[in-house]
Amino acid sequence: MLPGQPTGVFTTARPTFGAALDDFLNRRPAAQQPIEFPHNIHIGKEIACDFCHEGVARGAVAGLPSIRTCMICHDAIATDRPRIQQIAALRDKGLDLAWQRVYGFSNEDHVRFNHAPHIRAQVDCATCHGNMAEQTVAQRSVEHTMGFCVNCHNERRAPVDCLACHF
Amino acid sequence: MDRRSFIKLTAVTGTSAALASCGNPENQLIRFVPAEDIVPGIAVWKPGVCPLCQAGCGLTVRVMDADADVVRNGQAGLVRIAAAKKLEGASDHPVNHGGLCARGQAAIQITYHPDRITQPLKRSGDRGSGRFEAISWDDALGDLARRLDALETAGNQRAVAFLTRPGAGFRQTLIDQFVSRFGAPAPVAYELFGDDVQRQANALSFGRHQVQTLDLANTRYLLGFGADFLGTWNSPVAQGAGYGAMRQGRLGVRGVFVQVEARMSQTGANADEWVAARPGTEGVLALGLAHVMMAEKLVPDSAGRAGAIVAGWSDGLVDYAPDRVERSTGVPAARVERLAREFAATRPAAAIVGGPPLAHSNGLFTALAVNALNALVGSVDQPGGMSFMPQLDTVAAAGLTGSPARQTIERFAADALSGRPAPDVVFIDGVNPVFTAPPAWRVREALDQAAFVVSFGSFLDETSVLADLVLPDHSFLESWSEAVPEAGAGVAVASVAPPVMRPLYDTRATGDVLLDIGRRLRRPLELPWQTFDEMLAASFSALPSATADADAWTDAQAKGVWSGPLPPRLARQTGLASPARRTFSFEAPRFDGDAQQYPFHFLPYPSTAFLDGSLAHLPWLQEMPDPLTSAMWSSWIEINPATAARLRIGDGDVVEVASSQGALQAAAVITPGIAPDVVAMPMGQGHRTFTRYASGRGVNPIEIVAAVTEPATGALAWAATRVRVSRLGPPDSRLVRFAGGMREETEERR
Repeated sequence: MLPGQPTGVFTTARPTFGAALDDFLNRRPAAQQPIEFPHNIHIGKEIACDFCHEGVARGAVAGLPSIRTCMICHDAIATDRPRIQQIAALRDKGLDLAWQRVYGFSNEDHVRFNHAPHIRAQVDCATCHGNMAEQTVAQRSVEHTMGFCVNCHNERRAPVDCLACHF
Repeated sequence: MDRRSFIKLTAVTGTSAALASCGNPENQLIRFVPAEDIVPGIAVWKPGVCPLCQAGCGLTVRVMDADADVVRNGQAGLVRIAAAKKLEGASDHPVNHGGLCARGQAAIQITYHPDRITQPLKRSGDRGSGRFEAISWDDALGDLARRLDALETAGNQRAVAFLTRPGAGFRQTLIDQFVSRFGAPAPVAYELFGDDVQRQANALSFGRHQVQTLDLANTRYLLGFGADFLGTWNSPVAQGAGYGAMRQGRLGVRGVFVQVEARMSQTGANADEWVAARPGTEGVLALGLAHVMMAEKLVPDSAGRAGAIVAGWSDGLVDYAPDRVERSTGVPAARVERLAREFAATRPAAAIVGGPPLAHSNGLFTALAVNALNALVGSVDQPGGMSFMPQLDTVAAAGLTGSPARQTIERFAADALSGRPAPDVVFIDGVNPVFTAPPAWRVREALDQAAFVVSFGSFLDETSVLADLVLPDHSFLESWSEAVPEAGAGVAVASVAPPVMRPLYDTRATGDVLLDIGRRLRRPLELPWQTFDEMLAASFSALPSATADADAWTDAQAKGVWSGPLPPRLARQTGLASPARRTFSFEAPRFDGDAQQYPFHFLPYPSTAFLDGSLAHLPWLQEMPDPLTSAMWSSWIEINPATAARLRIGDGDVVEVASSQGALQAAAVITPGIAPDVVAMPMGQGHRTFTRYASGRGVNPIEIVAAVTEPATGALAWAATRVRVSRLGPPDSRLVRFAGGMREETEERR
């Protein structure tokens, strides 16, 4: 092994037995966010969702913003607040915010979800994510069961054949 | 320990391990701030240039967000990067038109290879031991500059050698400049399956020192002499597309294809007719065809300069009458006559030669004979024939003068070992001659003479492992890439592409490193650019713009390629000063090894997966079944069924192949697609140190190849070794095949 060479080779297996077991039982720990991000304040300032979740209208994943996105505004705005100083310090150390996903399907569900067509069909973000203007840190307030998806697809006459969502 | 306490201990450790591993450690890794804004889930396609062979195909690279494991300030973490995920052929590239071969597809694995060298290294053990320690770029370059300064002070600049690949790209031009401005001898260029003999023949026949381009799409009769143009020779993607059009692209016209070769290649397997001529006599067959065509007045018997340099041409090639050709080549006289009539009767027709027929001591004659045949049927510079593509002169484009010279590796090694002052500093860029040169040239021993060996390699192959200093290059996706193809299109082409992703590791682009060293020297080399992309920008700016709304440099970067008509001052001058004064006649090929003791011709051929072995580190290519034998992850030797029956060798048996140079063991593959007096073996395996995927796998056929050369060019005649074959034992696990036995074999057993 040469100095500086990565030790591991990528495999698709779970990193631990515990992770495999949790996956198998569809158990997910509640997301622990690096800072208590107040969605309500940002939505109150009429910042659009896709300003930070910028992939939402263009592709499959909405995306969780990097600290660079935060600092677009917060280099200048509210720089006296402790939480902003906290993230500014992180940025200065070269560290990013390790956001954790709140929603998402487990691998065994074999679901392939794409945000963009839903935005194009003018489905409101709140339909699937709840009213974020009332939340600080995002909580899983809507359960994404198959019934939930299919109901809406039926109402809007969107396709309900298996391969529309499952692979 | 008794059984009871062992079980207790197992239970306790197992439970605590399971408990400790609960939770999700991935989410506990810290994240670093990404260096760029990346929209997750959105793919961007960027232009690239395939680095794997001389064809210079254009790429389009799919770039998307990814999480990379990195270490920063000693802390392990994750960072979101824009990573190349898939390579495809660039659809508007004049060479490959959207196609990309299997090797090109696998090139993505170079960047993410687990055994890639991630930072500069300094040798810490004995030379060749593979023990290295980390060194900073500053220390490494400072050390190197001091050594070069010391040589300059001593007036000993000629003790620097630069080993590189042949080619006419901007990287080679920069290397030429670096070497000549320092005062070192011309770079040493080596490629095992190079086309030097072909170029030399084209220079003599047509006044063009260049490999030809074939207009296959418009050919109606193609006569191939050994050229594996659908697999490994010249510009396979361009030729594959042209071949498809030749066979199926025209309504009601299916071009005929006859292939002459002693071992059926992937290309030969596609032919309508496969003709096995004795190795080294393909030129006789070509002139035999010309003789029949002239004797029967099927064509006007003028072939211009290409004919004039063939001895006996003006007398109608009386020495090449069909019965004589039969005695020499083993191809029946009636078949020679029939092929000649077919070839003469169909227009347009073209002949093409390459590969094994040119890898004999008389290879130049063979190439000249096929050239004369082409000239005789009027296929030169005609639709459906062969032509020479205008090629950008990178020296002129970069605003420099002079024509690059090259030394052969044979001469380099001989000089280093002859007791003359040994080279002091040896640079190695993109070549692995310790693996690909015959042992009789003693390249390894020559490198051992050098005081200081510097490699720019990304992997520790057999040559780089001898280095004292490794200055790893970026991967081709992380740096500016360029290629100036010699063949494969109808117009001049120069590919160039900016980096498609940021470097994953602490590597540096070799072009930039050379320029940096040039500035660090006490007497700086005064190269006119600060970085390699400045050189590219200056050179491409000299080209005429292809579009009205952008200059050539901006346009080329966006598309990944420049192509168009070339001003004469920027075209590479490939002609000879004066035509050859002598004529060439057939001389029997010289073989190493006595025909009694070594009854078989040994044919090491470029592997479809690995070419000369430089791609054996890519696991996708190891996994790719060979198109003819379905073998993968292994070495094998191809033997004719009649020969195998005589030697009592069964399919998969372990056999020994021995030449005057040494012996190898490999599994036998019994195949009807090979002449009874020939045995063949693919290059590529048998690496000793070349990453976890290639090391210690199979055998390297070049180890038993003798150092016979083609005298005019000094090129290795790699098909000129004779061997004996003997059975050692029954099949073992060394041969892995995707589809079991050969199909023909299976049919027979039913």
